[in-house]
Amino acid sequence: MSPGPVLPSVEGMIEATELTKRYGDKTAVDRLTFAVRPGRVTGFLGPNGAGKSTTMRLILGLDAPSSGRVTIGGRRYADLAAPLRAVGSLLDAKGVHGGRSAYQHLAGLAASNNIPRRRVEEVLDLVGLPPATARRRAKGFSLGMGQRLGIAAALIGDPEVLILDEPVNGLDTEGIRWIRDLMRSLAAEGRTVFLSSHLMSEMELTAEHLIVIGRGRLIADTTTHDFITANSRAHTLVRSPRPERLRALLEARGATVALAATGALRVEGPDPAVIGDLARDHGLAIHELTPARSSLEEVYTALSQDATEYRAAAQHPEEARR
Amino acid sequence: MTTPTPARAGYPQAFTYEWIKFRSVRSTVWTTLATALAPVVGAVFVAATGSLRADDTVLGGSLTLSVVAQMLAAVVGALLVTGEYGSGTLRTTFTANPRRATVLGAKATLIASVMYAVGLLSCTVAFLLGDALLPSGKYAQGEPFPALFGVAGCFAVAGLLGLAVGTLVRHSAGAVTTVIGLLLLPSLFGPLFGDARRWVAGVSPTAALEKLTQTSDATADAVGSLGPWPSLWLVAGYTAVLLLTAAGVLRRRDT
Repeated sequence: MSPGPVLPSVEGMIEATELTKRYGDKTAVDRLTFAVRPGRVTGFLGPNGAGKSTTMRLILGLDAPSSGRVTIGGRRYADLAAPLRAVGSLLDAKGVHGGRSAYQHLAGLAASNNIPRRRVEEVLDLVGLPPATARRRAKGFSLGMGQRLGIAAALIGDPEVLILDEPVNGLDTEGIRWIRDLMRSLAAEGRTVFLSSHLMSEMELTAEHLIVIGRGRLIADTTTHDFITANSRAHTLVRSPRPERLRALLEARGATVALAATGALRVEGPDPAVIGDLARDHGLAIHELTPARSSLEEVYTALSQDATEYRAAAQHPEEARR
Repeated sequence: MTTPTPARAGYPQAFTYEWIKFRSVRSTVWTTLATALAPVVGAVFVAATGSLRADDTVLGGSLTLSVVAQMLAAVVGALLVTGEYGSGTLRTTFTANPRRATVLGAKATLIASVMYAVGLLSCTVAFLLGDALLPSGKYAQGEPFPALFGVAGCFAVAGLLGLAVGTLVRHSAGAVTTVIGLLLLPSLFGPLFGDARRWVAGVSPTAALEKLTQTSDATADAVGSLGPWPSLWLVAGYTAVLLLTAAGVLRRRDT
């Protein structure tokens, strides 16, 4: 969609070209082409089973693509001389052996890429894991501490690129805010930050750019703002003691009216002034008149539903035709 | 980012990583300690109970439990990789070093050198203990050198065999069962094969170990007439083939 500015260097850029992954006759990732640029947080959205985790495993060279390619700074992950110094990743909370201490986990990773041992203390400090906690076995860690350890592991090599799969999954409000601020500051330092989440509200707050996929295919690749503007329709929430009458009047003037979950009318078409004037002309009282835009959450839910319907139609084409 | 040390994730780094992982998890450390302890306990037990047969050697008698230790060595080898599959850390390992053959090579060096050292130390101690505790002059001494180096080699090869099987099977329980079966079944079912027994039982890693320990159990009827050292080379040979196969599978497999 929006190509964005062409950067002089591809350093730190993740580029997928016609990336495809099939498991048997199931296509998990389907000719996916996108670029994740440095200096901003890019959100990776998609319903469960859309292929987000598979795509991330393909980027990290853990799974081999059936066709197409994906590179980081122009190179395949497997060709990076010291991968942890180029790319930090967090796939899931289970990347740590429960019987090993956080310190040993990080010390091992540091050793694997010739990273000085003192960096372990630095990242522990950075993510706020106290040294005493880091010496304990990771099995006893809370979800939040485990996630901090995962982020510490991702940051061990001071990488230009960060790839995080559902980093805020299961975290409390404080943990979510911490990750959000950290991701933003890392992007502000010029790094590439690519994170997946199913929490739309969170993406709306954290990501400047969005790559949206459904059923392994690219749905959108655009700024978060443009995505919402393009996909969310402006509407007005209207409350009246006589909603049926108002609804009939509005529909007669070509407006699309639906009943919102709150019991208010969700009116698309006429702006609030027109609605207010219409009600006054017909002597109807108005208790609420709120201009609104659908949130990323709603946009995304609508897109997911489209994808589901599309899938249903693809499976039962004769029914869809009827 | 500028870094003072050269950015590199090669074989020496992979080896250090494997060493840190090996010594920071209880299962591998304790199983290795059990491997070291078994031959020593066996030597003391045999001497205390006087259960040595008249035609046995001091070396063979003292190393009675070395076969058990060899199985434990194979279990540690399997755990080295199945533990990573089970806990999901293999993904972490491969993101740290995507050159999978290098990672497997580092694991192989680690298990082979640890088990060689453990085997040599523990079997030497077991022999010295047995020699001191058994009544002198009653049994033939046996030739401890260079046989003990071969015994240590048997431990190293068993660890590598476990590593190869673990890589192919992936699950701890399955891999441990398979590798113990590989070590145990040939001598268990060998007699069922009649005259072919010496070939079936003779090619197993335990047969090579028994021949090297010069135990009276290692008769030509039971484990074939192939000499102790050629037996060890044979076992090392097919273990190498299995390990290369495992490396090939590991490189192609999605993780």
